[in-house]
Amino acid sequence: MTSTSAAPDLFDSLLGIQPGTALHAVRHARDKVALATQGSQDLFFAPELKDNLSLTERLWVAYYAAYLTPQATFSAYYLEQLRKQGADTSVRTSIEAGAIDALSDTRLAAILRFTRTLIESPVHGDQAALQTLQQEGLSTEEIVVLAQLVAFLSYQVRLAAGLGALLSAGEA
Amino acid sequence: MSELIRSHGFTNQVLGWKAWLPTIDLNTATPEQVAVLEESHPQAKTSDYYLTLGHHPDILRQRSQAFNAIMYAPGGLSRAERELASTVVSRINRCVYCASVHAQRFEQLAKRNDVISEIFADPTTAGTTEREKAIVQFSIDLTLEPASLNASHIHALREQGLDDAQVLDLIHAISIFAWANRLMLNLGEPVFPVE
Repeated sequence: MTSTSAAPDLFDSLLGIQPGTALHAVRHARDKVALATQGSQDLFFAPELKDNLSLTERLWVAYYAAYLTPQATFSAYYLEQLRKQGADTSVRTSIEAGAIDALSDTRLAAILRFTRTLIESPVHGDQAALQTLQQEGLSTEEIVVLAQLVAFLSYQVRLAAGLGALLSAGEA
Repeated sequence: MSELIRSHGFTNQVLGWKAWLPTIDLNTATPEQVAVLEESHPQAKTSDYYLTLGHHPDILRQRSQAFNAIMYAPGGLSRAERELASTVVSRINRCVYCASVHAQRFEQLAKRNDVISEIFADPTTAGTTEREKAIVQFSIDLTLEPASLNASHIHALREQGLDDAQVLDLIHAISIFAWANRLMLNLGEPVFPVE
């Protein structure tokens, strides 16, 4: 019944869920979930998404979502990925100053405003919010990927919180 | 058919959903788009939701695999209790469409809807047993305050008899509805039947 993924996935490595522990066994008894979660991660942060959001844009969305939640482990991870990309560090300053509206990159500012709405109050992400993205030049395909990405991050930070609580609770 | 519930803007009646963005056209869809629709849901080819997500078939495929593994896998937390958590999360996030679908699924599995009426009226006090109340409260807490989750939340579930495999199934069900609710809320809207 139980199969084990060959390589440690992002959740196991970031949260320190060690092979041989009870939680590792419980998690990988649901390996289809772990594999689809890692599969989503790999797609959302592929170096190239054809005719779509740049990797740097996707990583800023991820950092901002984890920062707002807050989910410290994942926000540190995404910040490190941004550093590896040589991303403009002034964006981080604007995010942490609560000043995304002042970003000179108005496309990124619109993407981050949409991210904030969906993370903090998803019911307010309405048709007008999509029209704002369209006015910034985002295509239908880009908007679908952005909505999927923020929704996935909402899943990721909660799964991280749940697994973190299970880790700190220890074995039953 | 079950009795109709309408409460605080939520209902267990069958609703439609319409997209705000242009959907893919099956006549011009790629073979990969058609394949991922067929493996995602029996009615995906006539669903605005799947025809919207089909713009990026690889991402839709992984999402559907995660969703189906979380909601339908055998063993662990009962499917009714997974649907209970999904309904609570949808109520908290104010996804009227999702709450309707998963209220119906709960009732199909549990053969009752008493707790659904309670969730629609006031999720913070809902639950017909202590175990249900613990599942409902955990669903609210992980949805609204993920950063505050700690070991005491896990102990509260263990005290109601959930083992850690069941706790993980519950965490998965709550988390996947953070994902599903946003897609349904942010890419389109529910359509109510004409009366």
